[in-house]
Amino acid sequence: MAESDWPAAFSTLQPFLGWALATEAERTHKRQTSEMADIQAFYVAMLSHLEDVLVYLNQFPLERLPSHAQQLMDMTLSLAEIAPAVELFGQPREDDTFDPFRFVPQHH
Amino acid sequence: MSATPNGTPANGNGAAGGYKWHNKYPHLGTGPVPADVFTSQEQFELERERIFKKVWLNVGRVERIPNPGDYFVQDLAVCNTSVIVVRGKDGAVHAFHNMCSHRGNKIAWDQGGTCQNFTCKFHGWSYGLDGKLKFVPDEESFFDLKKETLGLTRVAVGVWEGFIFINVDPNPTETLQEYLGDLATGLEGYPFGEFSTTSTSWTSEVNANWKVIKDAFQEVYHIAFLHKRSIPDSFTSKDNPYAHSLDVTLYPRHGSMSLFGSADYKPSPVAKLAAQHGEIVIRSDFSADGLPAGVNPLRSEAWSLDLNVIFPAFFVDVSQGSYFTHQFMPIGVDKTLWTSTQYYTKATTPGRRFSQEYGNVIFRDIIMEDGRTFEETQSMLSSGAKKEFYLHDEEILVRHSHHVIDQMLTGQPVDRAFAANGKEAASHA
Ligand code: FES
Ligand SMILES: [Fe+2]
Repeated sequence: MAESDWPAAFSTLQPFLGWALATEAERTHKRQTSEMADIQAFYVAMLSHLEDVLVYLNQFPLERLPSHAQQLMDMTLSLAEIAPAVELFGQPREDDTFDPFRFVPQHH
Repeated sequence: MSATPNGTPANGNGAAGGYKWHNKYPHLGTGPVPADVFTSQEQFELERERIFKKVWLNVGRVERIPNPGDYFVQDLAVCNTSVIVVRGKDGAVHAFHNMCSHRGNKIAWDQGGTCQNFTCKFHGWSYGLDGKLKFVPDEESFFDLKKETLGLTRVAVGVWEGFIFINVDPNPTETLQEYLGDLATGLEGYPFGEFSTTSTSWTSEVNANWKVIKDAFQEVYHIAFLHKRSIPDSFTSKDNPYAHSLDVTLYPRHGSMSLFGSADYKPSPVAKLAAQHGEIVIRSDFSADGLPAGVNPLRSEAWSLDLNVIFPAFFVDVSQGSYFTHQFMPIGVDKTLWTSTQYYTKATTPGRRFSQEYGNVIFRDIIMEDGRTFEETQSMLSSGAKKEFYLHDEEILVRHSHHVIDQMLTGQPVDRAFAANGKEAASHA
């Protein structure tokens, strides 16, 4: 990605590019192996821009996102992944759950 | 015993409430169910012979094999076989035992793909998409080979609303349509095709009996407890703290339960944005507008989704905008392949894709809470410490399911009379 492609409005999200992960398995792995403080920081940053990010992304067709938009897209999917950890469980993995690494996505 | 005008179930089924579902289906009785049905090898062998090898089993959807030559393999340990399901040149879906006529080798070693012929890797016998034996290498050295009798062995196959079912009984006693019966009629017209243009699916091999898993997904009594963190207010409310269901309909073997959706539901910040951009399954503000009469049959305004439990082990749980399925394939008495799939209309916009991802994640995290109970329960069942279990009125689908299994294993005909009774009860409710 060329630096200049990243929308200036979302510059505060750039430090979280590590969450731009393409598959559910990768996103689940990151959620399950991250510290809650890092998950929380990503959540706060993403949520504060989420409405604008979605409006911005919606100007592109889903199947042909420019690479920086694809990264933003994947970050919204990571937000979906970690939302229950922050909003419901207060921890990456709920105590009383089936092993997430044994519940294997068949999709990508 | 009827729902209050806005559809909120009365608070309490028992005594004052009149045991709502028991009163509708009194023939099921009120007694405990035996505990050893989850651990007995003898029981499992009977289930194999008298249920799984006799009835129609769901193996997937037509979207998986859109074009001639597309196929997938369904391993059916419980039926002691593996089945190839293929789209033929005629455009129809065919199914065959995955077994070569020469010396029995498994034909397809992979899980699926696209092909023109099925060619055995052992000695190269080759079969068409219609199962006919087309080519035998060095055929002249065989003795009186009647190729026209040596095709792949057919397995009965049927398609209902895009769901593919097979029946390994060489002479099924009823058609798929007869088997699905009135449950299917009530769901016909639901936009299964439209909602199945994309799907997300998870699978796990679980160390538990298939009925332990099935039973966890066919009652709402556990919602206020097991799911207190994930869905604290979607299915429960001040007036309905135990998530009592709106309606129950039993069929000779199948069962449906219409679930309450709470107006108390307060979406989280992410859930709220997700709902604005598309459909997510855990909501409580659904209407059944445009859906067939079998969906939200009471047309309650406090509806979330319906469970449709197709005997023995396939669920089609429908809501507004999307639906999901559970499939439990027994591998052994204490081992089951659990697959859950959520279906949507394929997203074309990033906003909708995000919405569906949130729907996937929340659905997955909820059913993983159910999943935790499977092995914990099975590990204690094998202790034999308890001989029987006591069921709540809202656990009537569990009671019904055990009743049907018992009838089939003991060779009694499934009691067709009670379908009529059930209908009568419904029309007087
Ligand atoms: S077993 Fe298939 S060709 Fe011999
Ligand atoms: Fe549950």
